[in-house]
Amino acid sequence: MTTPIADHIPEHVPQDIVFSYDYHGDPRVTSDVHSSLQSIQNDAPPIFYTPKNGGHWVVSRFDEIKKVVEDYEVFSAKEMQIPRIENPPFFIPLNVDPPNNIPYRQALMPAFSPKSIKILEEKVRHWAATIIDDALAKGDGVDFVREVASVYPVSIFMELMGMPMDRLWEFRNLSEAFFSTNDQEKIHQLSGQIIMTMTEILEEKKANPSDDLMSHILNIKVKGEPISLGEMQNMCFLLFLGGMDTVANVTGYAFRHLSNMPELQKRLSENSADISKFTDEAIRMFGVISNPRIVAKDSNVFGINFKKDDMVLCLLPISGRDDRKNKNAHIFDIDRAKEDSNTLTFSSGPHMCIGSFLARSEIRILVEEWFKRVRKYEVVPGTELGFRMGFSLALTHLPLNFETV
Amino acid sequence: MVKIVFVSHDGSDRTELDVKAGGSVMEAAVANNIDGIVADCGGSMVCGTCHAFVSSEWFAKLPEQSEMEICLLEFVPEPQDNGRLCCQLEVSEAIDGIVLQLPAQQR
Ligand code: HEM
Ligand code: FES
Repeated sequence: MTTPIADHIPEHVPQDIVFSYDYHGDPRVTSDVHSSLQSIQNDAPPIFYTPKNGGHWVVSRFDEIKKVVEDYEVFSAKEMQIPRIENPPFFIPLNVDPPNNIPYRQALMPAFSPKSIKILEEKVRHWAATIIDDALAKGDGVDFVREVASVYPVSIFMELMGMPMDRLWEFRNLSEAFFSTNDQEKIHQLSGQIIMTMTEILEEKKANPSDDLMSHILNIKVKGEPISLGEMQNMCFLLFLGGMDTVANVTGYAFRHLSNMPELQKRLSENSADISKFTDEAIRMFGVISNPRIVAKDSNVFGINFKKDDMVLCLLPISGRDDRKNKNAHIFDIDRAKEDSNTLTFSSGPHMCIGSFLARSEIRILVEEWFKRVRKYEVVPGTELGFRMGFSLALTHLPLNFETV
Repeated sequence: MVKIVFVSHDGSDRTELDVKAGGSVMEAAVANNIDGIVADCGGSMVCGTCHAFVSSEWFAKLPEQSEMEICLLEFVPEPQDNGRLCCQLEVSEAIDGIVLQLPAQQR
């Protein structure tokens, strides 16, 4: 066990914007995580200082978050641990501020662009169909999180990277173990195994390059120089971290919410064209990643004094629920107007999610394939739903009963 | 004031804005709710969802594209040679009267 971290409020923080919030697990948060966070958003100042976890700023509303994530000169992405630690993890390009992030971003961009993701669609659809068929074969009570939401992005990730699909089960097991533990020792050991597996494949690609992301990463040049193996491993691991749990949990929350909306289920199963609107609305309502920043220099922003090295946490998962930005923000409505559909689920600014086009397609295609097979479904009555908090929100299981078409 | 015209993909919709010099064309479009401009990254030049097309005359008059802009425009859903990222165009007298044709989709 780690020792509890003492509460702390530094001198430059005015009392009237102190508000207690523990991102690891706040007593006010229930398994309806987003609604609980939204009520905190309503009760707290848009920017407040929490004494918890060593003390840090929290930004909870859309306009303020957008400003923070876009203003990298004040709010740097170079450190993301709250509280700060020695030798914090460093990922490329996530922890690189502009302009040095640009060459890496530029190198990765083609593979993640709308144009390339369209080309990948058929493979995505194949995996969606296969995984749903396997899950439905298990019958009523099947755990959607375990059997569908968490395995689906692993296959897509492997396709995108160009990893050999005969290693699917090995990699799926590694991924499942990695994302379902909190044990630091185990995380460390599994990270090593995941990086080693990807390194083996990188080595194979070096000998036999093809048109996939890993071969592409091998060819990245920054200022005309090839990047090191360490940098390649670092980027591959970041992509792994960014592309699995995120998609799994947004999908999980979306399916859980839809389970309570039989009318909408009917509409989606009859009009598959509406599924992209459903996807957008689910992304607005069910973000899962909060992003930390570190203040790079003493600054006054929003009329508040921030001191160099203050940590700042942006609550992206409720950015789309800000009633100052979107009308009827708490209502799930796939027909909402564009001006009331704002969200920062994928953040904004220089580190805006590079996988956002892919993630949107993944979720849309999964829902499309689901309603080709399922007429209606519900969460198994009486289920106690579990969740995890932190920088990412997760739901632990979602057992479903369903009727097939 | 600077006049900026947005034309929808199929030509059916035309919106004329009169905006003050300063800021980017993307910001002007977002502030005025122009439908076809998404601008996911808020002008940080990493998303490409603020692109539009201009005539070859306008294209020649506009400031040169950076390497990153060229790269992003190459990978939008339906790339064309005359694309620009609106977040990289400054609202100034120099672009008074520019016509921007919006793409069918940004992502
Ligand atoms: C619905 C699913 C997803 C959500 C909610 C999500 C969310 C985010 C957010 C909020 C950020 C910004 C982090 C920050 O600024 O600190 C981010 C960055 C990133 N995401 Fe995603 N993501 C998703 C899917 C994906 C996928 C599928 C991939 C790739 C396979 C991916 C790869 C990345 C990478 C590499 C970055 C860092 C980009 C940079 O620093 O330039 N994400 N994501
Ligand atoms: S707003 Fe993202 S590239 Fe212009």
